[in-house]
Amino acid sequence: MKVTVKLIGPFINTLGFSEKQIELPAEATVEMVLSSLPLDPARPKIVTRNGQAVALNEKLKDGDRVVISPIYSGG
Amino acid sequence: MYGWTGNILRINLTNRTHKKETFDEQFALKWVGGRGFALKILWDELKPGIDPLGPENKLIISVGPIAGIPAPNTGKTVVAAKSPLTGGYGDGNLGTRVTEQMRKAGYDIIIIEGQSDKPIYLYIEDDKIEYLPADEIWGKGTYDTHAYLYKKYGKGAGVLSIGQGGENLNLYAMIRSLEGRAGGRPGIGAVMGSKKLKAIVIKGSKPIPVADPDGMRKLGLDDLRKVGEIDKQTGWSIQGTTGVLAWCNEVAALPVRNMRKTHHPDAWKIDGERLNNARVATYGCPNCTMRCGITILDHEGHESELDYENIGMLGSNLEIFELDQVASLNYLCDDFGLDTISAGAVLAFYADAIDHGAIKGDFRFGDAEKAKELLRKAALREGEVGNLLADGTMRMAQRIGQGSEAYAMHVKGLEISAYNCKFIPGMALAFGTSPIGAHHKESWVITYELKQSQRDSYGPEKAAKVIELQRIRGGLFEFIVACRFPWIELGWDINHYTTYFNKVTGLNWTLDDFWKVADRIYALMKFFWVREFPDWNRTKDYPPMIWFDPANADTEGPIAGKVLELDKYEKLLDFYYEQRGWDRRGIPTKKTAEALDLKEEAAEVEKFTKLE
Repeated sequence: MKVTVKLIGPFINTLGFSEKQIELPAEATVEMVLSSLPLDPARPKIVTRNGQAVALNEKLKDGDRVVISPIYSGG
Repeated sequence: MYGWTGNILRINLTNRTHKKETFDEQFALKWVGGRGFALKILWDELKPGIDPLGPENKLIISVGPIAGIPAPNTGKTVVAAKSPLTGGYGDGNLGTRVTEQMRKAGYDIIIIEGQSDKPIYLYIEDDKIEYLPADEIWGKGTYDTHAYLYKKYGKGAGVLSIGQGGENLNLYAMIRSLEGRAGGRPGIGAVMGSKKLKAIVIKGSKPIPVADPDGMRKLGLDDLRKVGEIDKQTGWSIQGTTGVLAWCNEVAALPVRNMRKTHHPDAWKIDGERLNNARVATYGCPNCTMRCGITILDHEGHESELDYENIGMLGSNLEIFELDQVASLNYLCDDFGLDTISAGAVLAFYADAIDHGAIKGDFRFGDAEKAKELLRKAALREGEVGNLLADGTMRMAQRIGQGSEAYAMHVKGLEISAYNCKFIPGMALAFGTSPIGAHHKESWVITYELKQSQRDSYGPEKAAKVIELQRIRGGLFEFIVACRFPWIELGWDINHYTTYFNKVTGLNWTLDDFWKVADRIYALMKFFWVREFPDWNRTKDYPPMIWFDPANADTEGPIAGKVLELDKYEKLLDFYYEQRGWDRRGIPTKKTAEALDLKEEAAEVEKFTKLE
């Protein structure tokens, strides 16, 4: 299945892309997406799927949009 | 007494006199600094019901015990007064060289009273105070004003000034310092303008009183370096606060079209990535190694420094998605000395009211050139429209009527900053209970709501989180006075601030001591409002009704069909009041006041309403 990964803020510079589609096996989880990316696991982050926060073990569906953001305290 | 100079400079502009007063350790320990000092002085010295733009109001400039010392993000100063926009307590903080210069001049607090008969500016150098004619800068924008004063006094001087907005008593006029820095959203610049005070220049040469000067200097410089390193490692300042826009757009929290919509397909055109690509300069506050002032060229070629609130309120909320035009609106606000948040909200409300036939006009969402023209009119109070727009959304809605109050996006008269809480109950509570009117600086709870709670929860855990964040953000960072950004954005442990405080004061405080001061300040801010509005009730802590209106629900996207529910919000408000020890009207009880050492203040407020 295909999932769109969108990065927020400095994660764009860390990983070198802002948004891209990735190919995943059926029943892939959010955690699999995260572990496939070289982001510091210790860095606090918030992950949403189609605009809603998700648990790491949540299974994804074809066409999902996963957004990975650092934690902010406001503008 | 270390940590405080113990000095107040009291200046009366009516008769151009000044005197140095002192405060004792008891006052310092009870109110600590910044917001605490300003609030207590305004509470003690202002008669309730005074005209905020009259000579009886007082402009307070105050710093905290760690302000101005070399340590992470300690370059901030608080400006405060009774707000002409809200009628309640109003303040703001801003990064400025005034912080260090004021401390070196030997003052923790400056109180400016009365009203000059002619435009003037103040020059303060240690014990020397001069009242100088402002003929050459009155009527000019803040950029020209600052350039004039820097040329005269040197770049190292601390300068605060107002633009034409403050001079003309625009009710959301701010006080400006440095390039893009401004403070005092609730019209504190208008208070300065009402006193015909164009600017304040401060220089000092005395040592700042620190209990352990060598230890603090070594620690502070080391920590400044560490914060800078963490910023480089994490890359936070690449987009600074502007990264928030893309995130808000993804989670349906972006202000779009006077907050009627929560996301927009063109939002990417004004996001942090585009801003970073267009960057021509970066600015920051004094004592900061994570500078977040991303500066680009605006449509007319001026340098314009932008943060998230600017692009959210002057961009997406007006459906203006041309970055250079958003930068132009931001530049104009900075130059006129207007709050970008309120200005964006005012223009959006005006367009929305026209769109709904509540008022006639030719301004439409997306019209950047017309928005510029209207900003100028609002700053100069030019004509009927300028005067309407200069008074803020609350008064505009009262005048326009036709049900427009429901979509006038303010709480207590202060315009809501750039988080659309159509379906974010905890953040709506944070805006509702913010003690100066709707401001994100007090409690930014959205991330917690989405990550650690449930978005649709109205449970006590959200009230508790709002209070926890208010204690840190609206409390600690406003009274010690420092910028909060290293704490969450870079994970800089909150206990660092206890260490700085103790090294500076020679005390041995814990975080619990800070939280007690924070709760005391929050209770007294509420008393201030109640004394001004004795018929106080909980509806003052409501967000705008349109957030509860099912007809306003998104028709697509992550929160399609969802809005806030009033009966559940009421329950959330109850949780908040219970946890704070406030009654069902949202007023601190006698027992709470006594526990916070506010017995005398409670007796004073009982002259206006009975406390439970």
